[in-house]
Amino acid sequence: MNLPHDSFAGTVVTGLVLTGVLFVVVRLLTNAG
Amino acid sequence: MGLGTLDILARWLHIIGVLVWMGHNYANVIQTPTFKPPRLDAAADVFAAATKREHAIFRHASLVTLVTGLYMLWYRGMLIDTLALTGPFVALGLGVWIGTLMVANLWLVLWPHQRIVLGYVQAPVEQRLRCSRITFLSSRTNTILSFPALFLMIAGSHGGFLFG
Repeated sequence: MNLPHDSFAGTVVTGLVLTGVLFVVVRLLTNAG
Repeated sequence: MGLGTLDILARWLHIIGVLVWMGHNYANVIQTPTFKPPRLDAAADVFAAATKREHAIFRHASLVTLVTGLYMLWYRGMLIDTLALTGPFVALGLGVWIGTLMVANLWLVLWPHQRIVLGYVQAPVEQRLRCSRITFLSSRTNTILSFPALFLMIAGSHGGFLFG
């Protein structure tokens, strides 16, 4: 099974998307969003 | 040496620890983007000692990173608020929890399987190959998690405008 883990681009893109999602979550939690 | 001096030392060790630990992970992604089963023949033994040393160093660097990070939070009286994700400590706290998860992943998932791959524990070739896939996924998961962990930790102290 192919996972994002199995490529350079998959690793980087998943890391960046996760960062973006958490960024939005933190903005909402701190009422800055 | 006062606690303040220890705090500066802790920050420096924290950064060095992350560089050693995550540097290993990033080098790994660049050198072997896709999973390749390791060579387990006699020729591979030449690299075994160096690999074991490398793994031992970055594994313990993760503990240095964790301990120094917790010390810096305790020294500032921020430890409980950060771990509890209270108010303005949400960004840093989330980074700390992700980092802690990464240490747990390294020691509780990767390391038990890595011991078999590296030959600390005797096991059939099939089992060593199966374990190498698990260590690959565990390591790569930590690399992915390091993106938000590093961002949230840096943003927590230097990017206040991002989070109001």
